[in-house]
Amino acid sequence: MSGVAAIADGVASGSAPAAAVARDTGERLRRAADLNATLHWSQELLDRDAARLDRLPPAERARLPLVGVPVALKDNIVTTDQPTTCASRILEGYVSPYDATVVARLKAAGAIIACKTNLDEFAMGSSTEHSAWGRVKHPLDPARVPGGSSGGSAALVAAGVVPAALGSETGGSVRQPASFCGVVGVKPSYGRVSRFGLVAFGSSLDQVSVFGRSVDDAARVLAVISGNDPNDATSAAEPPMTLEPARRDLRGLTFGIPGEYVPADLDPGVKAGLDRAVQAIQDLGGTVRQVSLPHTRFAVPCYYIVAPAEAAANLARYDGVRYGQRRVGPEGDVRALYRATRGQGFGPEVRRRILIGTYVLSSGYYDAYYRKAQQVRALLADDFRKVFAAGVDLLLTPTTPTPAFKAGEKTEDPVAMYLADIFTCSLNLAALPAMSLPVGRSGGLPVGAQLVAPMFADARMLSVAAVLETVLDATREVR
Amino acid sequence: MSWETVIGLEVHVQLLTQSKMFCGCSTRYGSPPNTQVCPVCLGLPGALPVPNAHAIELATRAALALSCKVHETSVFARKNYFYPDLPKGYQISQFDQPLATGGGIEIESPERGRLTIGITRLHVEEDAGKSLHDRLPGKTAIDLNRSGTPLAEIVSEPDLRSPAEARAYLTRLKQLLLYCQVSDCNMEEGSLRVDANISIRRPGETRLGTKTEVKNMNSFANVERALTVERDRQIKLVEGGGRVEQVTMLFNAGSGEVRPMRSKEESHDYRYFPDPDLPPLVLTRLWIEQQHAALPEMPDARRDRFMTVLGLPAYDAGVLSAERPIADYYEAVVAEGTEPKTAANWVMTEVLRGYNETGQFAVSSEWLAGLLAAVKDGTVSNQAAKQVFAARAGRGSLSVTVEMRGTGKTSEVSPRQLAEKLGLVQVGDVAALGGWVDEVIAANPKEVGRYKAGETKLLGFLQGQVMKKSAGKADPKKVGALLAEKLR
Amino acid sequence: MSIRREDVLHVARLAELDVAEADLPKLVEQMGRIVGFVEQLNEVPAGEQAPPFLAGPAKTPLRADLVAPVPLVRPPSAIAPEFIHGFFSVPRLGAMEGE
Repeated sequence: MSGVAAIADGVASGSAPAAAVARDTGERLRRAADLNATLHWSQELLDRDAARLDRLPPAERARLPLVGVPVALKDNIVTTDQPTTCASRILEGYVSPYDATVVARLKAAGAIIACKTNLDEFAMGSSTEHSAWGRVKHPLDPARVPGGSSGGSAALVAAGVVPAALGSETGGSVRQPASFCGVVGVKPSYGRVSRFGLVAFGSSLDQVSVFGRSVDDAARVLAVISGNDPNDATSAAEPPMTLEPARRDLRGLTFGIPGEYVPADLDPGVKAGLDRAVQAIQDLGGTVRQVSLPHTRFAVPCYYIVAPAEAAANLARYDGVRYGQRRVGPEGDVRALYRATRGQGFGPEVRRRILIGTYVLSSGYYDAYYRKAQQVRALLADDFRKVFAAGVDLLLTPTTPTPAFKAGEKTEDPVAMYLADIFTCSLNLAALPAMSLPVGRSGGLPVGAQLVAPMFADARMLSVAAVLETVLDATREVR
Repeated sequence: MSWETVIGLEVHVQLLTQSKMFCGCSTRYGSPPNTQVCPVCLGLPGALPVPNAHAIELATRAALALSCKVHETSVFARKNYFYPDLPKGYQISQFDQPLATGGGIEIESPERGRLTIGITRLHVEEDAGKSLHDRLPGKTAIDLNRSGTPLAEIVSEPDLRSPAEARAYLTRLKQLLLYCQVSDCNMEEGSLRVDANISIRRPGETRLGTKTEVKNMNSFANVERALTVERDRQIKLVEGGGRVEQVTMLFNAGSGEVRPMRSKEESHDYRYFPDPDLPPLVLTRLWIEQQHAALPEMPDARRDRFMTVLGLPAYDAGVLSAERPIADYYEAVVAEGTEPKTAANWVMTEVLRGYNETGQFAVSSEWLAGLLAAVKDGTVSNQAAKQVFAARAGRGSLSVTVEMRGTGKTSEVSPRQLAEKLGLVQVGDVAALGGWVDEVIAANPKEVGRYKAGETKLLGFLQGQVMKKSAGKADPKKVGALLAEKLR
Repeated sequence: MSIRREDVLHVARLAELDVAEADLPKLVEQMGRIVGFVEQLNEVPAGEQAPPFLAGPAKTPLRADLVAPVPLVRPPSAIAPEFIHGFFSVPRLGAMEGE
């Protein structure tokens, strides 16, 4: 599978028509069907979009930075051409009457929307086992999970079906599956990328995020979709991200490793991967030192108050009145409509989170839970600010506590599943840019390391990752 | 037993913007259902709100007109509950950090005279859609055109002590809000809605009794009626040994009764929290001051100026300043050079009559001023002028445009032209008048003799004879002066 | 702070979610575990205060008051589960009447 730049160059120059890319993508999607990574795609749509590109005058085609590039979209990003279900029965058959801003920007850049990918229902999960249409299989081991909630997008990139895909993050839903699947996963600074058209889960945490076969693939897509959107009041005033010129080394840069992210019982494979990354940094002339983020242990509890609370309100609109699937209970009145539609349309994990969210916001509990969690969040963000202010340019941590686990291993205990987010959710809470880079394999399973940058230093983070990528062999065993 | 009634009012007004509070849909009234909707006000998956700058401006001006403190930072909050015409399952409103707090308005209480009623807060929020229960049999029809319309919610302190005072408060509130043109304040059309909280207690008691909420009142008169009924119900209940329960009561305009809402559900837990889709609303002190400067002269100040500067009596000043369009019209007439008291008389009678009927000014202020100038210089008598005005206002049957000779263009007929057309121009020419006067003197030697002998009242008779001879067209003042001179 | 059956039923009512009787015991237990877990926040030292975190810009942008809606490529009738004579329709209000 060629990368984003190669495909775009080929189509722009005319040496490879978009129609060929469309046929090839369809072939790859068909061959990867067993992964259960897609919820909707059609050869007809692929061909139609490609034909439109091929008809453009060459000069115009050459101006489009992603011309002919097939990009997969997580099925919680709304599209007018194909359904958006969020992997939920409650939205079965829903076709949005408007496109998300990121979709409009991809289309304007000449990209082809390859398909809508499978996810944990409403992005709530860390394994893509909570989809109404079955779980996604890990491309290297079908008995394992690809991670979640953006497991479908991660699997397709890892399986070489598409060079890049969009996912979304609330607590690590792109970095964690990127690490599990051995691909690049980038969460931008909060507000970098418009949320208009991203189905809301935890509004103050959500960001559209990008998977890439390589850092360059992810970076090119991020550059196109980023930038202020007047339709999103939380989008930063920043202009679209411009990529830094390629680095040759990491001299002059200091990397901090927070002790709290390297617990004694860290999986040995993950630890070895981290050590690999440290070695690579030092070989490239960078400095590594120990730092501390003292409030780290409050990140997961904090996250599991803020995210469900916001989600409970965000999911109140799914009531069977104006769109989606409707069911009416035996009483036959409006209340029976709500309770049956929602009770039967939402899966168990979504119902659980709505109930928790409603609980922590309910009368008498707001101060003790939500307000307190938002204050703790400020303390967490401050930990990062202090470290960056003390001469540290980037942080390096493991992305996940273990490599990909087996399907069914964590579905019985919600708290066990939540702890999979332990190294990632703090960055959603702190609104900082963070990414996972594959660093090697452990027992054949991919292992990733995480880079974290200061607010809006996304481009620096990507250029550092790009040079690291050149010295790390992601397919090599770490031990 | 005597009881003190305690009333607080919550008023919602729709703000006069072109587009909705959080999206670019039109707020125009009366379109076919569900045609002024978009992803945001439909609550579609992925949609996000962005606040309307003009709505904030209008709400700020309203708050300033009510003497509130406008806060530089305020926060939008989600008010969570389920209802079929509430698309998101929450309403974007403001909770513990509203736009404005701590104001008050002066009212004229029928029982207690002039006093200030406190205003606890004013905040902005979005309206819900409309639920129609009679449109589809066995179902409820939902129209979301109204969903997302900007509202200001104004909450009074529980300072009102009678249903009549509540009505006076509403009248005054509406006057102030109409003055600054932030809302149409029309209860029949739904651009102003009232919910009331009412309780009773023994006189001298400082704690508040249990209150009930009264809803579904569609006019100020019905607010007074409903609160009277509810007050009496509470008194009767308590005097009979019962206790008031905190319930919501609905007013029925047809029967004049209030009854509790059917559902005995527990009261709503709105689970307010700051809306994560909307950063704080931050206004600068300078901008707030600019809004203050942009406020029009408010009714009391205007009334005072009419009295002190224009010399009008209190009653006239009150009537003319009560509504801004009237006050603006009146001042425009004065600005054209009309004497204030003359203009006041005319506006309070001829003009107001038509305005109260139709809501329009049939005759422009310039035109009226022109007519009154013609009265002043004697071209028409005051009586004749009223006929000219009536004709111009359309209650006559003559056309009001004339063709400019030779140009083929038509323009509005001037007051003098119309008076002429109607044959109402006074004759003031001394020669013509002199002629008639001489004729009358000659024809009435007996009366002339009696007048010269001291019966000065007969001047009126002789004057009347001249008026008859002139078919009413003679300028009576000039006739009187001429007669007096000739009979010296 | 443990979660009781009544607490779960109460929030289910607030959230308009049917909870099957059979699922209730497991749900009560799971929610209890989750709430117990998040209560770790009580261990944050009392002296450490901070204003609540703001993720996005410090102040909200405002829109000009223009009629310029985000266009819909298909009308409400195309997405509605039930749409009659131009209206979204729902069953009678029943218990919600008079709210």
